[in-house]
Amino acid sequence: MEIDSDFHKMNIKPQEEGDTTIPMDSEGSSTVQNDKGKENEELTNSMKKLQVEESSSGQAGSSFKKKPVIIIVVGMAGSGKTTFLHRLVSHTRESNIRGYVMNLDPAVMTLPFGANIDIRDTVRYKEVMKQFNLGPNGGILTSLNLFATKFDEVVSVIEKRADQLDYVLVDTPGQIEIFTWSASGAIITEAFASTFPTVIAYVVDTPRSASPVTFMSNMLYACSILYKTRLPLVLAFNKIDVAQHQFALEWMEDFEAFQAAVSTDSSYSSTLAQSLSLVLDEFYKNLRSVGVSAVSGAGMKDFFKAIEASVEEYMGNYKADLEKRRAEKERLEEEHRKENMEKLRKDMEKSGGETVILSTGLKDKDERGKAMMDEDEEEVEEEEEDEMFAEDEDAIDEDEDEEVGRFTF
Amino acid sequence: MGYAQLVIGPAGSGKSTYCSKLHEHCTTVGRNIHIINLDPAAENFDYPVAMDIRELVSLDDVMEELGLGPNGGLLYCMEHLEDNLDDWLTEELDNYLDDDYLVFDCPGQIELFSHVPVLKNFVDHLKRKNFSICAVYLLDSQFMTDVTKFISGCMSSLSAMVQLEVPHVNILSKMDLVAKKKDLEDFLNPEPQVLLSELNQRMAPQFAKLNKSLVELVDNYGMVSFVPLNLRKATSISYVLAQIDTCIQYGEDADVKIKDFDPEDED
Repeated sequence: MEIDSDFHKMNIKPQEEGDTTIPMDSEGSSTVQNDKGKENEELTNSMKKLQVEESSSGQAGSSFKKKPVIIIVVGMAGSGKTTFLHRLVSHTRESNIRGYVMNLDPAVMTLPFGANIDIRDTVRYKEVMKQFNLGPNGGILTSLNLFATKFDEVVSVIEKRADQLDYVLVDTPGQIEIFTWSASGAIITEAFASTFPTVIAYVVDTPRSASPVTFMSNMLYACSILYKTRLPLVLAFNKIDVAQHQFALEWMEDFEAFQAAVSTDSSYSSTLAQSLSLVLDEFYKNLRSVGVSAVSGAGMKDFFKAIEASVEEYMGNYKADLEKRRAEKERLEEEHRKENMEKLRKDMEKSGGETVILSTGLKDKDERGKAMMDEDEEEVEEEEEDEMFAEDEDAIDEDEDEEVGRFTF
Repeated sequence: MGYAQLVIGPAGSGKSTYCSKLHEHCTTVGRNIHIINLDPAAENFDYPVAMDIRELVSLDDVMEELGLGPNGGLLYCMEHLEDNLDDWLTEELDNYLDDDYLVFDCPGQIELFSHVPVLKNFVDHLKRKNFSICAVYLLDSQFMTDVTKFISGCMSSLSAMVQLEVPHVNILSKMDLVAKKKDLEDFLNPEPQVLLSELNQRMAPQFAKLNKSLVELVDNYGMVSFVPLNLRKATSISYVLAQIDTCIQYGEDADVKIKDFDPEDED
């Protein structure tokens, strides 16, 4: 309920703030009231200024950095994502790769590694569950949604340190569908993918996938993720210390072998299995798969090699597509902006004096208002933080204290 | 011979809402239907719960006593259910008549039907009890915004389908929230050539072959088709229900029974 009222505040505040900040931004407005003759000229000037600002900010947004590489680790519950991530972290430390770790699972109790950015510093999921009267699943989903609203800040924090980082490792909630079938998951992946090369690492529980049917449904799910995110996918067969992943590789390479395996498993109508394995056969060709063991540390080098290859692919194929998508989006925004500008001009011509300030405020809602909203949100959330998130300070990794400290939510 | 629906789908796809509306609808049209909760983490219900897994095991207790997180706790609960199929479930099922219609409201975790054989064994158990079962896979229509997401949805429903091996009805839920119904209609009756060209546009060139085989799969087998569901419209609900009934052959061998008209014999 508290957050609800915050949202109201957020909606109202930008306008109030709009009034106070306009005079600073466009010097014209103070003179407007005094000198009606100059009014129009000044206004067009200030409007031009606004446009210049917009376009420059647009350019800044499109600068695409080659580094760091974002690795989003997804997988079914119990496939060993967190352990795998722990192994990745220690591997990066050992081999002097500069990595950043991010935890997106609000429900995790203890992490075996220090996370540089932790969703638990921002949202306390037990509290969310209580306040909104949700079950564990809904709680995680809502926490992630809340976090996604502020995700641009996360990206900008990483952007600031971009030169010093090679990899950003992202741990996701155990419930895979919360990340793959939710709005916030899409927001988070797209926010990453539009700024940095992003690779999805799909962790497969090898021992559990030994049955051909389970293997098939796992692969179908991986395929589903591929189509949902449209990002390069690396399959990581985890737990190879328990069960070797050779059978999987064999199935992936030779689909007749897989079909033989399927037919031994008393199962679905063979035609479906056949056609599915044909589809999957195509799927495997576009896929990099490595066997890793989070426990013994085997396969780490191969994993990073696969990641590097995926990054190449990303730069080659995905970036162009992404830019196309972004251009389209920008074109739409531009149209919208022009419409608003036109409206603004008409309003200005119609009336002078104080209404001008109001309509500038209206315009601002669109562009600069966003930034202000963020500020407001911060203020509000800081108050909230006192009650809700107070005790979390010691959970933060010591080295990164200042980093997270700057990161006010 | 009994009839059962197994309502599955990702978290937040509207499973419980579907169950409650279905119950409402069936009460209105005078059909007898029992909703059974299989989600140990569920707390509030809008429908009368005929059977509840929480009577068998409670997630909170499991999490507290075994020190498990929500996920591990849930898996433990479901495995506990699996162990008690013969005891608890059989006992509970004995309360129902031969041709009762049961609806199982399942938890949303996808692992339950892809990794762990719990639901599979559960379904097999029901089959042994002579139940005719249909899996109802719900997917949020809000996510069906473009063709890649459509394929993604098809794949995730297929992965459940392959595991459970029962008749399958895919439902696009929350249709009342869809503003542009026109866009979705393309996916409800997919035109293979259109799908393919759109896919090729959206995916990187090396996926062309995969796109082709996927579209062929969707086309040839008609394996994955979606039924739109708008819970605000009674016609939509009854249409979906009719689809499911066809799948499980509900009422095909129904005879006139005297006791059907006997008001005292309610159960």
